[in-house]
Amino acid sequence: MKLLIKIAWRNIWRNKVRSFVVITAIALGLWAGVFVTAFVQGMMTAKIQSIIEVEVAHLQYHQKEFRDDLKVNLTIPSSAEKLNELEQDERVTAAAGRLVSMAMIGSANKSGSIRVVGINPSKEALVSSLSTQLVDGAYFEGIKRNPVLISERLAEKYKIKVRSKLVLTLQDRDGEITAGAFRVVGLYKTDNNMYDNFNVFVREQDMRKLIKVEEDYHEIAAMLTHQDLAETVASDFQKKYENLEILPWLDLAAGMRIMNEVIGLYLYIIVGIVLLALLFSIVNTMLMAVLERVKELGMLMSIGMNKTRIFGMIMIETIFMCMLGAPLGLLISWGMITYFGEHGINLSGASYEDVGFASTIFPYLENQSYIEVTGMVLIMALLAAIYPALKALRLNPATAIRKI
Amino acid sequence: MNVITTSNLSKVYDEGPVPVYAVNGVDLEIKKGEFTAIVGPSGSGKTTLLNIIGGLDKASSGGVKIGSTEIENLSANELIDFRLRNIGFVFQSYNLIPVLTAKENTEFIMLLQNTPKAERDKRVESLLAEVGLEDRMNNRPTELSGGQQQRVAVARALASKPQFILADEPTANLDSKSTANLLDIMLKLNKEEDTTFVFSTHDQRVIDRARRIITLEDGKIISDEKQHVQ
Repeated sequence: MKLLIKIAWRNIWRNKVRSFVVITAIALGLWAGVFVTAFVQGMMTAKIQSIIEVEVAHLQYHQKEFRDDLKVNLTIPSSAEKLNELEQDERVTAAAGRLVSMAMIGSANKSGSIRVVGINPSKEALVSSLSTQLVDGAYFEGIKRNPVLISERLAEKYKIKVRSKLVLTLQDRDGEITAGAFRVVGLYKTDNNMYDNFNVFVREQDMRKLIKVEEDYHEIAAMLTHQDLAETVASDFQKKYENLEILPWLDLAAGMRIMNEVIGLYLYIIVGIVLLALLFSIVNTMLMAVLERVKELGMLMSIGMNKTRIFGMIMIETIFMCMLGAPLGLLISWGMITYFGEHGINLSGASYEDVGFASTIFPYLENQSYIEVTGMVLIMALLAAIYPALKALRLNPATAIRKI
Repeated sequence: MNVITTSNLSKVYDEGPVPVYAVNGVDLEIKKGEFTAIVGPSGSGKTTLLNIIGGLDKASSGGVKIGSTEIENLSANELIDFRLRNIGFVFQSYNLIPVLTAKENTEFIMLLQNTPKAERDKRVESLLAEVGLEDRMNNRPTELSGGQQQRVAVARALASKPQFILADEPTANLDSKSTANLLDIMLKLNKEEDTTFVFSTHDQRVIDRARRIITLEDGKIISDEKQHVQ
């Protein structure tokens, strides 16, 4: 074994350019696999974080059918008790009630359809990051009568700014059309343009007056100690309140569950394609290495080196190159992920926000993924070496020894 | 005692319309300690005969016996192991392992045989001294002349303590001085250690110093003569 290791190690330095190509291919393959994984994971992590912290929290209560057409009279019975019950649960860190209704927004220039969310600003701050997303104005401070928080995009669209007036027209619980004049208290901006174009926030008590809902909420949102608990907690309360619809974040955000499942598969496909390219690169180079040494391999077989040792020698050469290429690839990946994980990759020109993703991606990778991708690259490299090694075994020593 | 015995050995290539006999009904006996040259023009079957005797090629018919072993009955793996322990090879173009030094090339066979280190070291030094390369032990093949490389090849062939050494045109790539030098070493080993050499050649300088000359033509032995060499 020591002999094979010695010969294999020296063999890889016989043709430095060729070995450099294989080592670089392994390093680049590993880098591409790891970095693509980190990029997609970073994108998904940001998306999930945005969905949970800005849009839906970890779980929500609604009346059944409420989410279909946001009917004003479909409030959650005994909302206060349910809120209190949630707050008592040790898995829950905060809970808040919301009123939600479709409305028309009208400024001096334009009108359109939006969703109004009535919130208790201090409680809402515990279940969403809305209060930290402000780009202008204040979070329900400075305007006493009917303040409204709208997005920066909506402000541009309706040509309004902080302290401008706008009119919200809604339907009350009796089905009557009602309207209220609001003044813009602040502008927010999230990573999701669709969300920004659609949601405005008012105080709960101001909305109650308009829609004539004196108590209870349309929506109860809760944050948990960990996002992985969402399905369990939602399921526990769903069993208790069968007449309500209690869903975890994965089912609240449209397409999120499918995206979460499919993205992992896509990731494997992308890494698979990278590894396939790597496989052919190694097969090609190792085959060259074998075909260049036909005479020498013939001589080794002639003087008594058995097939296991010949096979082992070629495999060890590949392992050595992997051992040089893999740490190099990992080092480059780790460096880039650390750098871009801190500074981000700005893709603001790519319209990512229009489809609900952050425009700045912060690649992120768990240690487990480094190990998985490295394992896949090493296995691929070894698989790639098998064909050239078998090719070497098929040589006839009498013919091989006479090759020029 | 015969080291090599062939009986009615033939090798036929029948891929074309007419079968071609590379070796045709060769009966041969080589005893321990012989210094035998197989001679003949190009295409007479010298190399094919050596390849079959060395277990590198299969005969179409007939048999080869090395000592008491009929090698055609051995499996591919058994044959490799048999070659490792019984036959030393010297090739026309040296065929040393380019990444190993002269010492490591000589030691190589003994490592394959799992010979203990102390014995290896002792034998390598003694063999390289015998071929006159004790001062070039740590040089790689590219740092040695053709003659020196072929002497390392002889040392490597001897390292496994084989029953005999097969050498295919060992002087074909050497100049006169290196040829004479190599022959001196081979004859010395033959005389002093009773090492059996069988080599193919059409080099008159080698033929002149061989003790037995077997002449092949069209795969058949046409003469088998002994000559007295000083």
